[in-house]
Amino acid sequence: MVAEIGPSNIESAFLLEALKRGTRVDGRGIYDYRTLKISCGPTYGLAEVQLGQTRVLARVSCEVTRPFPDRPTEGIVLFNTELSSMAGFGLDSSRASTQEVAISRMVERVIKQSRAIDSEALCILAGEKVWTIRIDVHFLDHGGNLIDAASIAAIAALKHFRRPDVTIDGEEAIIHDVRERNPVPLSIHHTPICVTFGFFGASGDMLVLDPTLLEEQVQVSSFTITLNSHREICALNKAGGIPLSPDQIQRCTQVALAKVDEVNEKIQLALKASTA
Amino acid sequence: MSRPDRREASQLRALNCSLGQLNRADGSAQFSAGNTSVVSGIYGPVEAKVYEEKLDRAVVEVKFRPDIGAPTTKDKWMESAIRNTFEREILAHLHPRTLVQIVIQLREGDGSVDSAAINATSLALVDAGIPLKCMITAATCAVLPDDTTVVDPTQEEIDAARSTHTFAFASGSSTGPLYVDSRGDFTMDEYNHCYELCALATERVLAFMRTAIEGKVTKEAKISAA
Repeated sequence: MVAEIGPSNIESAFLLEALKRGTRVDGRGIYDYRTLKISCGPTYGLAEVQLGQTRVLARVSCEVTRPFPDRPTEGIVLFNTELSSMAGFGLDSSRASTQEVAISRMVERVIKQSRAIDSEALCILAGEKVWTIRIDVHFLDHGGNLIDAASIAAIAALKHFRRPDVTIDGEEAIIHDVRERNPVPLSIHHTPICVTFGFFGASGDMLVLDPTLLEEQVQVSSFTITLNSHREICALNKAGGIPLSPDQIQRCTQVALAKVDEVNEKIQLALKASTA
Repeated sequence: MSRPDRREASQLRALNCSLGQLNRADGSAQFSAGNTSVVSGIYGPVEAKVYEEKLDRAVVEVKFRPDIGAPTTKDKWMESAIRNTFEREILAHLHPRTLVQIVIQLREGDGSVDSAAINATSLALVDAGIPLKCMITAATCAVLPDDTTVVDPTQEEIDAARSTHTFAFASGSSTGPLYVDSRGDFTMDEYNHCYELCALATERVLAFMRTAIEGKVTKEAKISAA
């Protein structure tokens, strides 16, 4: 009935005491992900991810537009990640806190700046017509760790999406209706996946993977590493919080490498299931 | 004239719904008819802001988010339409000075989006336990250029139609519709015909909703009895 006022002292104390003994409030190990469910389709480019109690929906669509004047041979990738009021009462994209804005920006940067999508392949006629790919990420349920869920949803949706086929005939481009010719997938170089860790304790010596909402509210520091299936680090993000040692970062990276492989497998299974 | 998906003129698409899937929201429902899918989340009754609270009743707020792109004036229109439909059917006097917030997210749009949104909201309000006078069910009809009338049109059929009509009725009520949205070029005969077809269609939607809610309640009863 009342607006969110954060966790009580008892809840925080219980969480920290349990962590000191090596367990988490929901019984997971410190390096365990919550149950991850990915479902794609039926519409091309629609992916819904459920990570524990967090639910995120991603939708990819395309449109033919003019390119940017300084990039005539590249397509455009647009992002829209608003924290909707459905995810939690009091959340509103027009009055978003800095943390919420950071979440939206993080997902956007991960996909755009890691050059996951081949924008040159989106060019139809240089300087005149290119594909604009639009990714809308809708947060339906905020149960903690929105970044990981959103990155998985966005990548799954991009891989699931099919754009209309195009034939270039000299100076003319023919965009085929999807009923005439099968639509084609996007050219995706690699699949960056975010893995988030939360740190607890006065010196940040206790850490967990995939924090829940309660753990996020109690944590003293947060660290997100973005890796792809080629074992490359696409992005590291540690914005504020208490300082962490390079050893902790290293440890997190090793754990994340294993997790990203698992997540990629799940995405592949979900994509296969949707086309079956 | 056969429809692209081989349905009969008065046949609805396959209906699907799931209740209570969201954890943070007080109530939620996902409703889909064919490829049109809507999620509705309810927060309420919650604390209203002092400047918007009403002393003797709950305030109803609706937010509608499209599947693609930022919200436009079309979505604002949908918000006010849904708010007007539900404002009088929610027993707001039982919860003065509170807010009932309805958040609707369109997942996939393939025609008849407004009726899917109304149906999803009806189910979500039941899931949230918000007291209602009645269930509200909606259906859409389209009059095609060859003068046939089809129920639950897809986006393709709507694009080709001469007029489209959405009606929402209160269950168990013999009075007129709670919500009417008619667009295009039509005669009164066509309007009346659509009215009758939608009234029949909403009865089928209501039966479907009843089965869904009964299923949920029996499941919950089993869990609490065990």
